[in-house]
Amino acid sequence: MASSRQIELIASAWLARRDGDGWSTQDQLQLDAWLRESTAHRVAYLRLDAAWRQSDRLKALGAGVPAGVVPERGAWGLAPLPESHAMPSGSGTDDEPSAPARIAAAHRFSASSRAMRRASKSRPRRLLRYAAAGFALVVLASLAWGWRHYAAVDQASYRTAIGGLQDVPLPDGSMITLSSDSRILVTLSRSERHIDLQQGEAFFKVAKDSGRPFVVSAGDRRAIAVGTRYDVRRDAGDLRVIVTQGVVRLESDNGPGGHDRPSTLLPAGSIALASDAGVMVNSGSVQRAEELLSWRSGFISFHDTPLASAAAEFNRYNTRKIVIGDASIGTLRVGGNFRWSNAETFVRLLELGFPVRAVRGKDTIVLKSR
Amino acid sequence: MDDSLDNWFIREILVHERALMRYLLRSWYRREEIHDLRQDIYVRVYEAAAKARPAMPKSFMFTTARHLMTDRLRRARVVSIDAVGDLDALNVLVDEISPERRLSARQELKQLTEAFDRLPERCREVLWLRRVEELPQKEVALRMGIGEKTVEKQVAKGMRLIAEYFYGGGHTHRSRQRATADAEHGDGHGQQQAD
Repeated sequence: MASSRQIELIASAWLARRDGDGWSTQDQLQLDAWLRESTAHRVAYLRLDAAWRQSDRLKALGAGVPAGVVPERGAWGLAPLPESHAMPSGSGTDDEPSAPARIAAAHRFSASSRAMRRASKSRPRRLLRYAAAGFALVVLASLAWGWRHYAAVDQASYRTAIGGLQDVPLPDGSMITLSSDSRILVTLSRSERHIDLQQGEAFFKVAKDSGRPFVVSAGDRRAIAVGTRYDVRRDAGDLRVIVTQGVVRLESDNGPGGHDRPSTLLPAGSIALASDAGVMVNSGSVQRAEELLSWRSGFISFHDTPLASAAAEFNRYNTRKIVIGDASIGTLRVGGNFRWSNAETFVRLLELGFPVRAVRGKDTIVLKSR
Repeated sequence: MDDSLDNWFIREILVHERALMRYLLRSWYRREEIHDLRQDIYVRVYEAAAKARPAMPKSFMFTTARHLMTDRLRRARVVSIDAVGDLDALNVLVDEISPERRLSARQELKQLTEAFDRLPERCREVLWLRRVEELPQKEVALRMGIGEKTVEKQVAKGMRLIAEYFYGGGHTHRSRQRATADAEHGDGHGQQQAD
């Protein structure tokens, strides 16, 4: 049995052929036979066919654009949508910009803000003025940025509450996803992008910039990358680094005795645990590393995990804490994927499958052996 | 082949794909299975409707989706603790996840335009020439200096992507916002969906 994606591919191939030249009765018969084979074929075909017929309405975008010219993406704020288009455009035709002018304007405008584009409608003069103003703004902004750049101070701190999750885009194109109950201080300078992970966990999608290394520090350790994706988590004195793309260098300040602690290179798929005892690296598949990062989409996953650790994991995200009431159950092993906001489901499943009983309080759920 | 059934399916079921995808993404942990899950849902709805059209198509589709997911969970796991998704999240009222709202023609065109703008460069050019300028595929090939087969392939690709963006809403990176919204509501139930 073909997968749904394969079926979709075949359906689209049929439709594209029918859209082409030289579609014969023979072809139609074959297509009909394919459609009769299974409902899965039929629904895939119907869906694509409907979308294709919808796309016929894109014709409205072509009004006023000379043949053979494909307008820039997003240039449509200028080209009137059909409602205004259907109406005769007021008085004379002098006001109507020529299509090439409109397109040229679109080119000039692509870097400017959407709001301005919308405001500019279709008057070429006004448009030019806006374009000039936009350009001046861009120059000013880049001057300001350049100045800050050289002055080497662009600092901001971000924090999340328990249960919170926040995307922090950086001006260099990098993206930080801050996990629950976490705090970072971002300092961007000409020579370095520095993130101080003061508490909790964050995932970093680093934009390539070989001139400015991306450094995440936590206490006396640093995880350094040039362009990559990785996660850093801080638990008291311990640090966990997970790399899902590229290479990260893990460095430490000198040890308590003053002796050197070697730096460690972590390729994609690595899970490194750094504690006072040293750095332990577990190299596995990227897929496994990603699994540990499912918190980004709202899930946490366990794999033969002691119940005590699983509870601690839930507690990172929830104010109502799961407490292990009897030490004996803390060692039970659990597995599965859970929405971290839903500790209640987790506890209910525990009660169902394990000799565990939950005592629910306002701020805690205490787990006891049954 | 009942043609009016096809039209019914497009009119009453496909238009809710965006809401369905949001629902699936929220309830089903394995992203890579969602495409397949969606197909199964459509198949079941289509086959049921061939016998008798459901009175409330959208609710029917969501109920079907829920049953299918529950079935898959039962089949997949023996150990009860290993819940793939979050079964509780499946018990949502349909209207909570997708307030009834038909798009105006203008909004539809806007969505189509956005879908069109998200196409890869070459694909976008092929679709423009074929769809807006209405050149035959052969002509498009000449104009762009590429083979006719290539044009046909790009048409097929464009069709798939337009369907994904226009019906499905190009959902994939919305999941994170949704997770946050869940957290804010504590229990992950019935939160408002931002569009």
